[in-house]
Amino acid sequence: MTARAPRTAALAAAAILAGSAAHADQIRVLNWQGYGTDLDWAVAAFAEATGHRVVHDYFNSEQEMLTKLRTNPGAYDVVMINAAFTPQAREEGLIAPVDVSRIANFADIAPEFAGNPALAADGEIWGVPWTWGLTSFAINTAAFDAPPESIRVLWDPAHEGRVSIRDDALEAVQIAALATGQDINAIADLAAVEAKLAALMPNVRAFWSSENDWNQFMAAGEFDVATYWSGSAARSQAMGLPVEFVVPEEGAIGWLDGLSIPATAPNVEAAHAFIDWMIDPDFHIRWDEEGAPASANAAAAEALPEDAFNRAVLGDPEVVARVQFQAPVDDATRAAYLALWQRLKAAQ
Amino acid sequence: MAQPLGPGDARRAALLLTPAYLWLTAAVFLPLSAMLFFSLLSDAPFRGADWRFTLDNYRAFFATDVYATLLWKSLRLGLTVTALCVVIGFPCAWVLAKTIRGRAREALFLLIILPFWSNSLVRVFSWAIVLRGNGALDWLAGLFSSGDVRLGLLFTPTAVVIGLVHSYLPYVILTTYLALQAIDDTLIEAARSMGADRRTIFRRLVLPLSLPGLAAGAVLVFVPVVGSFMEPRILGGRFGAYFGTVIEDQFVAVFNWPLGAALSFILLAVVLAILSAAAPVLRRAQGAAA
Amino acid sequence: MREGGGWLSRLGVAWLWAVLAFLYAPIVVMALMSFNASPFYQLPFAFSTRWYADLWANAEIRAAALRSLVIAATTTAIATALGCAAALALFRYAFRGKALLQALLFPPIAIPWLITGTAMLIFFFGVGLGRGAPAVLIGHVALALPYVVIVVNARLASFDPTLEEAARSLGASPWMVARRVTLPWMAPGVVAGALFAFAVSFDQFVVSYFLARPGDATLPVLIYTSIRKGFTPEINAVSTIVIGVSMAALLAAARFSNFGGRR
Repeated sequence: MTARAPRTAALAAAAILAGSAAHADQIRVLNWQGYGTDLDWAVAAFAEATGHRVVHDYFNSEQEMLTKLRTNPGAYDVVMINAAFTPQAREEGLIAPVDVSRIANFADIAPEFAGNPALAADGEIWGVPWTWGLTSFAINTAAFDAPPESIRVLWDPAHEGRVSIRDDALEAVQIAALATGQDINAIADLAAVEAKLAALMPNVRAFWSSENDWNQFMAAGEFDVATYWSGSAARSQAMGLPVEFVVPEEGAIGWLDGLSIPATAPNVEAAHAFIDWMIDPDFHIRWDEEGAPASANAAAAEALPEDAFNRAVLGDPEVVARVQFQAPVDDATRAAYLALWQRLKAAQ
Repeated sequence: MAQPLGPGDARRAALLLTPAYLWLTAAVFLPLSAMLFFSLLSDAPFRGADWRFTLDNYRAFFATDVYATLLWKSLRLGLTVTALCVVIGFPCAWVLAKTIRGRAREALFLLIILPFWSNSLVRVFSWAIVLRGNGALDWLAGLFSSGDVRLGLLFTPTAVVIGLVHSYLPYVILTTYLALQAIDDTLIEAARSMGADRRTIFRRLVLPLSLPGLAAGAVLVFVPVVGSFMEPRILGGRFGAYFGTVIEDQFVAVFNWPLGAALSFILLAVVLAILSAAAPVLRRAQGAAA
Repeated sequence: MREGGGWLSRLGVAWLWAVLAFLYAPIVVMALMSFNASPFYQLPFAFSTRWYADLWANAEIRAAALRSLVIAATTTAIATALGCAAALALFRYAFRGKALLQALLFPPIAIPWLITGTAMLIFFFGVGLGRGAPAVLIGHVALALPYVVIVVNARLASFDPTLEEAARSLGASPWMVARRVTLPWMAPGVVAGALFAFAVSFDQFVVSYFLARPGDATLPVLIYTSIRKGFTPEINAVSTIVIGVSMAALLAAARFSNFGGRR
């Protein structure tokens, strides 16, 4: 026994150094932190039902997500991609088509999402529509008597040093496009957008980059008002933070998130099972209680209680009329936005 | 002492040296060469991408003033942090080397280098907790004044400087202490008995003799601070963009490795230029002491 | 300089204590917050050990800590072996190109880690090794190696070669000389070099960050991703444990060697 102990230890050490091979009973998911796929109860139930342990890796921006796919081939089985970025991932050969015949719940996906040209191309489905929601802003209710009605509140000198926006070129540019009354998918006057963002900078306390950032800074009382996602705001409220999501008169950015399977995924079988699990109405109804974005599954949306935010607000035709949905962005435009954003940050 | 190579010694020396230098070649020198090569490419040559040789990545540095602004910002940060470390660290090293004796000195010395053994990231994040609104510092300040105190230090350039000084101060104290300790007390005694006042002793004797230690410490601070990216990201808020963060972005987010490689080489060239410009000054100072 | 009791030296001692307070304040706060119940680090303080309990249940953090330990131990073994051999040769033999070899030790120390790390990433990708624990290990050894060579060399510099001479003239074989005279003299330098190597690897973040694969994270990489993507006081708990253990290890090591200098 004593002679074997060091050998066992050496073997264990060698296994660690050799790196983690993909385990047959494991699936690796790449997503934002705290965004549905890593809910304890969901992961536990999935493991019990299918025997697959779910392991997560997180990204901080869509750019980082794409680079993680590029530089870690074979490391992920499922990746959550904002539909505006799905075409880029497809063109770079990072993702494989999803076999929807293996996803029972796919039939219930609302047709306008299932047929979204960003996700469906060349007769294949490259991302299964999962959730959708709005990007606008949320306020710290302690700092306001009544919720503001205009996006101009972000620029209000009364909130100098108490504002935050996400550290993301596309989102920043589109928020400024809303504020300057432009089409977020066809910005005619980019100079006006840049000037508008430059004017915002003195008000900005910090850029946030994850839900956790946002919650921590809000809890610390660093922000009065900060851009945010509708589902995340619901989650922050559920955690007890004094937060209210605002859809201003200028409108909001609509987005659709899909679940895709990387081209190099080692565990394609389990990936399909997990995606099916994630778009199941049962999962969504329970997630909605803790704060969730809206489900792309029509059956799930109908099953929500009448007063749920995702039904009450996102179901309101007046709100929907003000929403501009994000279209995919081509390389040249994205590069221009990145350069603009980098210029603004460098000038601080 | 070193002996000239005898028969068989050459073989033995080669045997002893080869593994270490082979490793360094594979893990440092070849990668640096690969990076130089990359900095001259139009595209990362992976996954069948088209690429050709170009100087565009270096031109990009000059095409806008974004990169130059950030490089200058990083250099200024390096100088500020280094200067603060020297000013704060020198008296500590002096007290440690010349005032405190025996077990107490040993214990204090250990206390100074212990933080090194804690994780540097955790130390930086601890500052975020200390400096944030409703954080430890606001709470402490609230004890000394009435009302709700908001210092608002987190997410300012000051926060970045505080975090970096905290991370690198022990280096300066350590190297300066070693240099000061080597100064023979009798030398100082002799100077004093010859009528030199405190200021003269410091300027003509202590400072020149401790300069090698100070310089070593300064280099150990300046080089990593100029390339820092995680401290600004965690503590800097909207002021957190530096040259290091832009390089990091090219590698982990934007996936423009050739541009990242070119920016890295520009940073390396500037750092080496500054170090070699400082070298003669330091050497002259040492010469004056002799 | 005999100034004991002078106001200047009292001021100096006060300064030293102030600096120590500055160095330890955030570490103390960090440790305290690991016992605070609020997941958002909110005050007032409410004592709780839940983060330590959560930590125990968190397989990812435990795996990362174990991985860091294994990588640091392996790095220490390889870097110390290679470094001692190189230091011995650099000390023992005079040959052309020696100054160059000595100079080549400095780039890994003097080049910002950001640059070394990204260069390794590019190269390991180019040769098909990619990211992962083996890449991290190769990188760590390269960073630790120069420290070992320099520290061991410094120790050897004070070695009196007439000792070897004497042993030889008394009829000792070269092997005997090495084993009974040279190596015992090197020993403290070797221990110091090994400690350096371990510290460099265990706390190494930048190079690991670029080379680690998801699922293969070392503890510092995991901490960084947690800070940026979802930080809980669990990280404070694990950091408190790491600091406690390394302090204990350093204090133990200090008992056996004299860190404070000769006197």
